[in-house]
Amino acid sequence: MADPSAPRSPFAPWDRRELPGLFTVEESARRVGHYAWIEMRLFEALGGWVATVPELDVKTTLGRHCYHHAWHAELWHKRLPELREMRPERLIQAPNAALEAFVAALTEPEGRDLTIEKLVGVYRVLAPRKIAAYTYHLAATSQITDAPTIRSLGFILDDETTDWREGEMLLQSLIETDEEVARAARRQAELEVLITRAGGIAGPGSLGDNPPSKSSSSASTVGAAS
Amino acid sequence: MRKSFPAEDLARDGRFRRARTEDRFEDPRNQFLPPGRRAGKLTPERPDAAHAARQMMHGIFVGEIQALEGAGRTVWDFDDDQAPFALKLDMARQCWDEARHTEISVKLGEWMGTEVGEFAETAFLYQAACNPDPVLRLTGVNRALEGLAIDVFNTMREFGQACGDPVLSFCEDWMLADEVTHVKMGSDWLRRLTEHDPERRERALEFQRVVDKLFSFRGFRGEAEDSPIQLARTFRRMAGFGDAEIDTIAADAEADSEEEGWRAPVG
Repeated sequence: MADPSAPRSPFAPWDRRELPGLFTVEESARRVGHYAWIEMRLFEALGGWVATVPELDVKTTLGRHCYHHAWHAELWHKRLPELREMRPERLIQAPNAALEAFVAALTEPEGRDLTIEKLVGVYRVLAPRKIAAYTYHLAATSQITDAPTIRSLGFILDDETTDWREGEMLLQSLIETDEEVARAARRQAELEVLITRAGGIAGPGSLGDNPPSKSSSSASTVGAAS
Repeated sequence: MRKSFPAEDLARDGRFRRARTEDRFEDPRNQFLPPGRRAGKLTPERPDAAHAARQMMHGIFVGEIQALEGAGRTVWDFDDDQAPFALKLDMARQCWDEARHTEISVKLGEWMGTEVGEFAETAFLYQAACNPDPVLRLTGVNRALEGLAIDVFNTMREFGQACGDPVLSFCEDWMLADEVTHVKMGSDWLRRLTEHDPERRERALEFQRVVDKLFSFRGFRGEAEDSPIQLARTFRRMAGFGDAEIDTIAADAEADSEEEGWRAPVG
């Protein structure tokens, strides 16, 4: 056994976490507020749709996923005061009117014959956007100072990818004809336009700023709130 | 998607058969017993035990679907100023629980030899989840409806034990644990939301009493030895019911049963 009095680094040799990150406390809080807002809108919609879909497997899946997103919203609610936001409701909002328009369109279908439209909106448009934004946050924020957010992101991304896969499999099992393929594609295109206008679930910069072009200056972005 | 979703629009696949609640209550096959007499406690000794248990299992199954739909609608129907975020979180959790119960019920139904759609479905459980006041809705669903679920699951759990069916008693025991949680949620929210509004609390409790009387099915659920569904006092206490409240449910059920006898089975 090694000498217990010998000094050791606080970081194990395999621990490669770095201190610098792209987000300030305020920027992390701003994003977390937008995450909470979209998770709330999503769990409400999934709950509302349960009664409107005739397919039993879809009904129970929506019920299960409804809770997943509610739990995500709860995690983000709890994180905000830890990021010095003592009035969380101030930040729990859409990043812009365009994302509100997207959510209005996403939640519009009600008819029992519109399960494909409902699922496409959630699993082919919103879920990939959420996974992308959460993955960016995970990669961009300080791995040490923002560790509580990273921990929540880990749990949430695990849910999101599992649920995304389940939703996509449901869709593939529901889409059987050329017309249904076209319906799904139309719906996806309509909603992609809207969420693209919004810039993603956290607004423009959901996936960070575009990388600088070759002709622009090579200023470092470390420490910038992008 | 609309706020508030009527029971007649509940989406089902082609296997389900919807019966109107009033038709179910007036079905002459359910009226063969004279006032004051019931089919009897669900025991293996009853000649129709297997059929009655399968029918009750199917009733649980459609009840779970409607409870899932009701909790989901509570999540969607109310704005943040009508229903606090924490309440919606509880309802979302309930969605997951009821979805799981639906899955369990399907598998238990197959285990017991019934199948989806063998018995008709009425929507009166969901109708209790349509009240526009979130406090009344929560009281109707989480205290009356889920309270009934406590009684039903305990009855089926005991039936499984008496039959020596470990699968049935195991599953019912797990679902019973969830239902106690749901009723406790209802008890807690009723207290919190009406803390400074005794008149609203009174209205909610009155609504619960009306729903409870409906769910007693004129003595089908009660404390009499021959009530097919037994009132589960111990588990109701765990869930926040006071003894006086349970006494009232028992007394109402008994008084009602003397009036016209047993009529409506669960479903």
